[in-house]
Amino acid sequence: MNTVIDAFLFPGLFYALVWTVLLYWFFRKFMAPLHKRVGPHFNGPYGSYQTLFDLSKLLTKESITPDGVNPYLFSIMPILAVITALLPTAFIPWTPSYPVVESEYGLLALIVLIGIEPFLLFLTGFGSDNKYSFLGGIRVLTQSISMETAFFLAALSPALLFGTLNLSEIVDQSSWGSFLVLIPGFFLYFITLLGLLEQPPFNIPDAEQEIVYGFYTEYSGTNYFMLKLAEFTEFMAVFAGAATLFLGAYKGLFFDNYLCFFIKMLLMAIVMMILRAATPRITLKQMLHFSWRYLVPISLLNLAWVMLAKNLFFAGV
Amino acid sequence: MKKIKAILENFDTEYVEDYKKIWIKAKLQSSDALLAVAKAVQDEGLRSLSTVSPTDFPDRETIELNYFFEDLQTKRNLWLKCDIPRELEKCEIASLTPLFPGAEWHEREAYSMFGVKFLNHPDLRPIIVSEDFIGKTPFRRDFDWEQHEEDVAKNVQAIVDAFKDEQATNEVNLDPESSETVLNWGPTHPASGPIRLRVHCDGEEIISIDPDIGYVWRALESLVTKKDFVGAIVAVERLCFMDNINSMVGYCMAVEEIAGTEITEFAKWMRVILGEVARISSHFMGLGGFFMNLGLHTLFMWNLGTREFFLDFLESYSGARIATASIEPGGVRYGLDMTMFDELQKALDQFDNTVDDIEMIFVNNPTMKVRAKDVGVLSADEVEDYALCGIVARASGVKTDIRIDEPYAAYDQVDMDYVTRSNGAAADRFKVLFGELKQSVDIIKQAKKRIEEGVASGEFNPTKDHMVKVPKKLPAGEALSRVEWARGEVLMHLVTEEKAKSPYRLKLKAPSFNHTMMLNKLLEGQTLSDIPLVFGSLYVCQGDLDR
Repeated sequence: MNTVIDAFLFPGLFYALVWTVLLYWFFRKFMAPLHKRVGPHFNGPYGSYQTLFDLSKLLTKESITPDGVNPYLFSIMPILAVITALLPTAFIPWTPSYPVVESEYGLLALIVLIGIEPFLLFLTGFGSDNKYSFLGGIRVLTQSISMETAFFLAALSPALLFGTLNLSEIVDQSSWGSFLVLIPGFFLYFITLLGLLEQPPFNIPDAEQEIVYGFYTEYSGTNYFMLKLAEFTEFMAVFAGAATLFLGAYKGLFFDNYLCFFIKMLLMAIVMMILRAATPRITLKQMLHFSWRYLVPISLLNLAWVMLAKNLFFAGV
Repeated sequence: MKKIKAILENFDTEYVEDYKKIWIKAKLQSSDALLAVAKAVQDEGLRSLSTVSPTDFPDRETIELNYFFEDLQTKRNLWLKCDIPRELEKCEIASLTPLFPGAEWHEREAYSMFGVKFLNHPDLRPIIVSEDFIGKTPFRRDFDWEQHEEDVAKNVQAIVDAFKDEQATNEVNLDPESSETVLNWGPTHPASGPIRLRVHCDGEEIISIDPDIGYVWRALESLVTKKDFVGAIVAVERLCFMDNINSMVGYCMAVEEIAGTEITEFAKWMRVILGEVARISSHFMGLGGFFMNLGLHTLFMWNLGTREFFLDFLESYSGARIATASIEPGGVRYGLDMTMFDELQKALDQFDNTVDDIEMIFVNNPTMKVRAKDVGVLSADEVEDYALCGIVARASGVKTDIRIDEPYAAYDQVDMDYVTRSNGAAADRFKVLFGELKQSVDIIKQAKKRIEEGVASGEFNPTKDHMVKVPKKLPAGEALSRVEWARGEVLMHLVTEEKAKSPYRLKLKAPSFNHTMMLNKLLEGQTLSDIPLVFGSLYVCQGDLDR
């Protein structure tokens, strides 16, 4: 029974759905004043039903499979993408009584599952038999390879500091002191997160002015919805990872519970949105240059800093 | 000017005469001398060939070709004419493209519309016209449009098949061993608008670009000949919806020149105000579009907000926000109610409130600079050779602005200067655009002040002075008018017959035509990411590209 609740209610499918619908609405509503617009307005209070209607529309629309593609590959990829994006939620300590899967290697599971996602998206582009989709897929792959190195190195810094890969233990041991030590790691994690999630200024794979909609181009109806769900669930997994690794997860100033966790994730979403409203896209070449020339060396330096700080400040711990 | 005349004296000419202040008008006896004359004037410094405009005279069995040579540096211009036979087999003339690369598409256009064959043209394919017009001459006076429609109805299946064939054989001619592929960038692409760029690319690298235009061809040049002189303004203003007023100004100037009408001082100032409002509304979209092509929508949204205020003024004046039809031969269409200036003042205030934010966040945006400061670079030489104009020319440091070079309306009394930058990259074009936006607001302030003073002192009567009568029937004649449009030079060549009720021929030379020609040159060897950026920075509008 518990397994069913975990898989379908919290932190599983239903939770991801609610998160997707709410976050999508929040993105729209939050972007609007930055653009000097109103945003969703008519459906429900503050237009909050808008994404629900979008969701029901997408679910009832015809999913078009183009001629000449392998229909199985084409349709199975969105499902796989959603499942892969949902899996990390099982390893996140949402409250003291979670994670669902208590593992000594929680951090490893988290970053591996986050790291698989771009390859699935590449396959969606590859399977679409469309030049724009294929270019989008190649760009996803290029970007994830160059961003993930720095991402993994940044995500490893708390593990080095606390000497464990167990996410619950990392949260238990975290303190104001460890937070300060991990600030550079957090910044690195956040920058690479933008790259992994294809957010501006790294929204190169689905740059609509260049390659239409990248790997999404041929998708419509339910399949498109699944891909969007996967994207937003991926947001959740990556934000939750950041909150767990660097910000102390459910730990709050006055009380510890899920609300603190949620606020931390929301803050990251807000920063991401503000960047989206103020930064143009860079090119693939510039991204590669930035990643290998700056991010990777700096994340190695960050590891050295964490080791040093551990010996200096946390020698007794 | 004397030097040009001296050059022309060496050749057999029917006449050589001064025309306006900075033009020389000449007609050659024989079309054989054209190449030699062109070479000679090019050596003299007239390096830009603005356009090639054929006029069809079925009665005289000739087609008269008009060449407009310009010198962007010293502002000396030459209008050269010559006759060629009208029969399709003999309708030939030497191509000027080897000398003036900017003539390439203009000659292709003359070939598609009039069937003039240009000998030695490197790439004489039809342009603009769709498959069903190929081999026909739609702009000749005796073209039978009804017969054409019948033909199309009969052959519609063949035309559709030919189109599909062309799509299917897109890549057939490519080397199967290479990884080269053809990407259709448009006509249904999020950033293209109705234009199709056939992008030959190898992965992300661009090998070459072949623009395919004509998706919004409305045959405006033919349409105006079917309307009367006032009715033609609605065709002319549809050159591009973003800045429609200045194109009407150019057309009305040409009509007034033939009619011999002098418009009132008040109407001149009104043309300045309305023209600058239209220019602002266009520049706002251009600035926003530039960032849109970099994947950032914020500036576009902000600009549209401010632009609404300027459109409010146009609405209060003419009743329409976009297609205003408010300039007419003889002045401006409506009188001015001074309360309309309140709307304008609101717009100017709104502009002053937002301009600093835009400058801080977007004009000085570091990511934009990283992206755009090294791509799409045009040198001043290229600008002259390819007859580029407007912001594209000024961003490369060429001082050309028809409002200053050849002032029309009341621009001779306006205090303004060239807005130029020297590097000629995409970022420079963006900055020139922004500089001109501020300049336009400044001009509006000057014009508004002048009109208010004039009305206060009783010099202007805003309800009566706006129009002088232009006769409905014009004498035979021809006129050339140039205006500085939002995108650059619009050159209009108007020909009328005796007691004409409608234009006999109107050539519209619009700037986007030359600018789009540059795409292949600018993007060769760059990556796909640079297409929207460079394309957007050239400030192309598909409306005036196809006409």
